[in-house]
Amino acid sequence: MSATTAAWLVLAAPLAGTIAIGALFNRLPGRSAGWIGTGSIAVSFVFALITLYKLQQQAPAHRELTSTLWTIAGTVGVDARATILVDPLSVLMICVVAGVSMLIHLYSISYLQGDRGYSRFFAYLNFFVFSMLLLVLAGNFLLLIVGWAFVGAASYMLISFWYRRTTATSAGMKAFVINVLGDIGLVLGTFFIFRHTHTFDLLASFHAAPHVFASGSGDVTAGCLLLLVGAFAKSAQIPLHTWLPDAMEGPTPVSALIHAATMVTAGVYLIARMHPLFQLAPAAGDVGAIIGALTLLIAGTIGLAATDLKRVIAYSTMSQIGYMIMGVSIGAYTAGLFHLMTHAFFKALLFMAAGSLISAMGGSQSLDRMSGWRRALPFTFAAFVIGGLALTGVPPFSGFFSKDSILLFAAGRGGWHWALYVAGYLGAFLTGLYTFRMIFRAFLGDPCPEALELIDHGHLFHPPAPTNPANGEIEDTDVGFPGPDHVIAERALPMRVAMSVLALLATVGGIVAIPNTTRWLDHFLAPTFADSTLLSHPSNGLLYFGLALGTVVSLVSIATAYFVWVARPALAPAIAARARPLTTLFENKWYFDELIDAVVVRPGAWFGRFAQNTFERVIVNGVLIGGTTGLVRAGSALVRGTQSGMLRLYAGMMLVGIAGVGLYFLLQS
Amino acid sequence: MLSLLIWLPAATALVGAIAGGRRTPGVLALLGSLGALGMAIALIAGFNGHGDQLTHVIDVVWIRSLGVHYKIGLDGLNLFLVALTTFVFSLSLLAANRRDWERPETFYLLLGVAQSAVLGAFLAQDLALFIGFFDLMLIPFYLLTGIYGGAGRVVATTKLVIYTMVGSLLMLAGAVALAVLASQHSGQPLNFTYSALRAARLGGPTQDWIFLLFAAAFLVKMPAFPLHGWMPDGYRAMPVEVLAIFSGVLSKVGAYGFLAIVLPIMPQASVHFQTLMLLIGLASILYGSAMAFTQTNARLIVGYSSVAQLGFITMGIFALAPQGAQGAVLQMVNHGIVVAPLFMIVALLSARAGGSEDIRDMGGIAMRAPVLATVFLIVAFAALAMPGSGNFVGEVLILLGLFKTKMVFSIVAFTGVLMASVYMLRVFIRTMHNRAGPEVASRELSWRDALVLVPFLGVIALFAIYPQLELSRAQSSVTSSISAAASSAAPARAVADR
Amino acid sequence: MTIGWYLAVSALIFAIGAGGVLVRRNPLVVLLCLELMLNAANLALIGFARMWGNGDGQVFALIVMVVAACEVTVGLGLIVAMHRRRLPIDVDEMRELQG
Repeated sequence: MSATTAAWLVLAAPLAGTIAIGALFNRLPGRSAGWIGTGSIAVSFVFALITLYKLQQQAPAHRELTSTLWTIAGTVGVDARATILVDPLSVLMICVVAGVSMLIHLYSISYLQGDRGYSRFFAYLNFFVFSMLLLVLAGNFLLLIVGWAFVGAASYMLISFWYRRTTATSAGMKAFVINVLGDIGLVLGTFFIFRHTHTFDLLASFHAAPHVFASGSGDVTAGCLLLLVGAFAKSAQIPLHTWLPDAMEGPTPVSALIHAATMVTAGVYLIARMHPLFQLAPAAGDVGAIIGALTLLIAGTIGLAATDLKRVIAYSTMSQIGYMIMGVSIGAYTAGLFHLMTHAFFKALLFMAAGSLISAMGGSQSLDRMSGWRRALPFTFAAFVIGGLALTGVPPFSGFFSKDSILLFAAGRGGWHWALYVAGYLGAFLTGLYTFRMIFRAFLGDPCPEALELIDHGHLFHPPAPTNPANGEIEDTDVGFPGPDHVIAERALPMRVAMSVLALLATVGGIVAIPNTTRWLDHFLAPTFADSTLLSHPSNGLLYFGLALGTVVSLVSIATAYFVWVARPALAPAIAARARPLTTLFENKWYFDELIDAVVVRPGAWFGRFAQNTFERVIVNGVLIGGTTGLVRAGSALVRGTQSGMLRLYAGMMLVGIAGVGLYFLLQS
Repeated sequence: MLSLLIWLPAATALVGAIAGGRRTPGVLALLGSLGALGMAIALIAGFNGHGDQLTHVIDVVWIRSLGVHYKIGLDGLNLFLVALTTFVFSLSLLAANRRDWERPETFYLLLGVAQSAVLGAFLAQDLALFIGFFDLMLIPFYLLTGIYGGAGRVVATTKLVIYTMVGSLLMLAGAVALAVLASQHSGQPLNFTYSALRAARLGGPTQDWIFLLFAAAFLVKMPAFPLHGWMPDGYRAMPVEVLAIFSGVLSKVGAYGFLAIVLPIMPQASVHFQTLMLLIGLASILYGSAMAFTQTNARLIVGYSSVAQLGFITMGIFALAPQGAQGAVLQMVNHGIVVAPLFMIVALLSARAGGSEDIRDMGGIAMRAPVLATVFLIVAFAALAMPGSGNFVGEVLILLGLFKTKMVFSIVAFTGVLMASVYMLRVFIRTMHNRAGPEVASRELSWRDALVLVPFLGVIALFAIYPQLELSRAQSSVTSSISAAASSAAPARAVADR
Repeated sequence: MTIGWYLAVSALIFAIGAGGVLVRRNPLVVLLCLELMLNAANLALIGFARMWGNGDGQVFALIVMVVAACEVTVGLGLIVAMHRRRLPIDVDEMRELQG
C-alpha cells in the first residue's frame, strides 16, 4: 500500500461512517451510532499513521506525493482535478485531526447520550472530520475550497444542532455567512493567482510562482490578501471573529473539535501551505502578523471580562490562534504548526472538562454561579488544571515550548518584529490571568448549591424545567433540544479515557520540538518548508532569555490571578469600578458586533426594504407593467371605437368607402 | 430520431386526451415524457464532443417562398438542455399524477404540447421554426395558469400574456428584418436557417437594433431585471408542478437563445452592448437577492433567487470568454435541477403548515421530518452554490470568465454569492428550525414524495462530483458559438491584459 | 332621348334614399329609404336598357325587385319581433354588437 492509497483511505473512512450512520439513523439502538462514528475515525487515524510511516520511507527529497482520481472540470484552461497532496505538512495535519477527533468522538459517546438527535450528531461529526481531512489533503485549489466550504457547512449544522433554540440557529447562520465571506475571499484570491500561473494545481502553482510573479507585485499581493480574508474568517481573527463566541451554542464536543482543535486552525494551515506565494507578497505576511498580534491581545482582554465559561475558553482559542497566525505569517512555520498541535491537545481537554462541569451545573454555563467544585469533581478539576497550565505556558507542559518557539522566531527576525515579541508575552500574561481566573472562580471557594447537591446527596443537580442557558427560555427534551441526561467525567469511562489521553499529550507533547534539543518536528516538516525564504537566526542567549521570560510571565500571571480572585476577592470589583471605560469596552467585546451590525446588516436590510417597497411597487409594477398594460389597453380602446354597434355609422362608413373606391377608379381612368 | 424526440410527448398526450378517463391521460403523458428522456440519455451517451458540428440533422424545406426550413440538429449546446427538459418534465408529470385534476385530458395535453414545443425550441436550427416553437410553448402555460391556477390567476395570466407577447412580437419583427437584410446583404435567396444567417455577416449598426429586439424577448423570458414584473404574480398563481417546469426549463430558453442565435449571428452588437447586458445581469443578481431575503412568501423567495441565478448566467454569457460561456451553460442545467425540487419542497412545506406559503406561519417542521430536512438542506446548499456542488463549478467558471475580461464586474458579482447564502439559509431556518408555527403539523416525506425528489438529488450529486460530464461535451460548441463575439472583443482585451 | 336626365333623376332619388338611411331612426323609415335606393338603381338600369336597345337591364331590374321583396320581408319581420318584445323601435338603441 502506497502513502497516497493510505491517504485516500483516510478520507474514505469518515465518509463511509457518515453515510452508514445517516442511512440507518433511526435504526441504531442505544449508543451504537457513537461507537460506529468513533470506530470510523479510529480507522482513519490508523490509516493516517500508515501514511506517515510510508511517507517517511521515502527519501526526504521525494516526500511530496500526489494522486489524482478523476477530473472534476477540465475545460477551457481550467484544470480542477480530484487530487490529493501527501507531504509532511498534510500528514502532520491528518494525524492531529484524526487523532484528536477520535478522542472527541469517544468523549461524545457518553456526553450526548439520551439526546434524541444522537445518530444525527455522529453523522454530522463524521462528515465534519471528512471535510477537514479533505481540506488538508487537497492538492488542488478548488478541492481545497470544497473542503473549506464543507467544513463551514458542517460547522453550521453542528452549531445549530439543537435547532429549536433560536439562539442556536441564529448563531449558526452568523457563522455560515461569515464563512461564505471567507470562501469568497479564497475564490477571488485564487483567481488572482490563476491569472498568472494558469493552473489550479497546488504544486504546479508553487513551482510556477517565482517565475511569473515579481516579489511584491500587485496581483500576488492582492491574491494573498484575499486568501488572508478567508483565513481570518475561518480562524476567527479580527474583524471576522464575531461568529466564534456565538458558536458556543453548539454542544460542547462540537466546541472542542471544531472551534478549538481543527476547523479554526484551517487558516493557519492555509497560510503555511501557501507559503511560496506569501513569500512573494511580504505586505500580506505583515498584515497577517499584525492582525494575529492584535487578535491575541484583544481576545485576551475580552476573556478577562467574560462570564460564560465556554466563552472564556472560546476567546482564549481566538487568542492562541492569533499566535499561530502571527507565527506562520512571519515564517515560523514549524513553530506555528507545533503550537497548532499542542493547542489542539490542551484546548480540547479544557472544553471536555468544561462540558463535564456544565453537566454538573445542570446545563448552566455562567461563571457567576459556579464555585467550590474542587471536592465534588476532582477529575474534572485536575483536567482543568493541566489544560490551564499548558495553555498558560508553564514548563514543562507542551504549551510552554510551542508558544516560546514562535516568539523566539519573531525576535530572531529582528526589526519591527520585536513589537510582536512584546505583544506575545503581554498576551501570555493575559492568558494566565483569564485562564486561572476561570479555574479559581469555578473550583475554589465555598461550594455552590449545585456542588453541595453532588457532595452531600451524590446525585447531579437538575433544574426544575429544562431551560436555555443563554436566555432562560423554557424548553423540552424532545428532538431539537438537549436530552435529559447530564453526564460528568467522574461517572463516564469513555470521557475519562479521552480526557486522560489528552492530558498526557498536553503534558509531554512538547517533547517533539524542544529548542536546541529534540528537533523531531523540524526535521519532519523540513521537506515542505525547505524553500522558505523567511529565516530567523536567534542567538542562544536570546533562546534562554525567552525560556526564562516565558516561565516567569506564566508563573507571575497565575500568582496575580490567585491574588486578585482568591486572596483578595474584593479587589476585582474595585479594579473594575476604577477602570469603568475599559471594563465596559471589554464586557461589550470591543463593540465589534455593533459595528458589523451598523456597517453591514442594517444597510443590507435597508436595501432589501427599498427594493421591496419602493422599487418593486413604484417602478416595476407602476411604470413598467402599468405602462405596458396601459399602452396596450389604450391602443385597443382606440380601435374599439369603430365597433360602436350603431347601424347608421356602419351604413355611413360603407357609403363613404364605396364612394371613395369608385371615385378613385374613376379618376384613375 | 430527433423528430421523434420532439413530437413524442405531444403525441402521447394527444392519445391520452382522446382516450379520456381519470388516470389514462396522466399515465400516457408520463410515458411519453419518459420515452423522450430515455432518448435524451442515449444521445448523451453516444455524443462525441470533439467537433462543433451539428449531429442528427434533419433539414427539410418547409415554406420555400419564405426560405423557412424544418431544420433541427443536436450539438453540445442543446444536448444537456434537451435532457434537462425531459428530466424535469418527467418528474413534474410524476408529481402531477399524484393529484386529481379537473379535466385531466386538457391538463396533460397542454403539458405534452408544452414539452414538445420546448424541445423543438432547443433543437431548432431555423429562426422561424425557433420563433414558432417559442410562442407555441407559452400558450399551454397561459391556459394552465388561467384554468388550474390559484388565487389571482386571471391577473397573473393577463400580465404574463401581455409581457411575453410584446417581447415575442419584437423578436418576430427582428427575425424577419434579420432574414431579409441578410438575404439582401449576401445576395442569396431568403433563408432563415442559423447557418445561413451566420454566414451573412451584417453590418454593425444593423446588428444593433436587431440585437435589442431579440434581447427584449429573451430578457422577459428569463426573467431579468427590470423586465421581471410578471414573475411574482405568475409564480404565485401557477400550480406547483407547472411552476417547477416553468422556472426550471422555460427560463433557459431565453439564455439559450442568446448563446445559439444572438452571439453567433450578431457578434459586433454583442460586443457593443456587452456592458449594458453585464449591468442588467448584475442588477438582476443584486435586486433579485435583495428581494429574496426580505420576502415572506416561500415561493417568491425561490422565484427571486431564480432572477438572481439567471443574472449570473447572463453575466456568464456576456463575459464573452470561453470560461464564462461554459459556466453559463453548466449553470443552466444546474439551476434547472435545483429550482424544480425547491418549488416542490415549498409545496411540501406548505402542506405541513396548514396550506400557508408564508414563512412566518412555518417553523419547526424538521422535528418529525428529518429526511425532508436533509433533502431540503442538500438542495438549499446546492442552490446557494456551496463549493462541492455543481453550481459552484458553474459559478466559478462564470466568475473566472468575467474576471479575465471585466474584473470589476466579477468582484461585485461575488456579493451575489454572499447574498445567496443569506436568503437560502434564512428560508431553511425559518421553515424547518426554531419553534413550530401555529398551524404546523410536521410529518415525514411519504414514499411518493421521495420518489419525485430522489432522482433530483441523484442528478445534483452527479453534477457535483462529475460536472466534466457536461463540460467536455459542450466545450467545442460553446467555444465556437462565442468565438465571433470573443474575437471582436479581443483586440481591446489584448491591450488591457498587458 | 338623352340618358343624362334619367340618370340625374335616379341619382337624386338614390341620394334622398341614402340620406334617409343615414339620418332617420325609425327602422320602418330606414327600410322605406332602402326601397327608394333600390328603385333608383332600377330606374338607371331600365334607362340603360332603353339606350342599348336590349332587355338585359330590364331582366336585372326584375331580379333587383325580387331581392328587394325578400329583404323587406326579413326586415319587417325583425321590426315586428322588436315590437313584440317591447323593444324601442329605434335603430340607435339596437347596439348590443358593440365592441
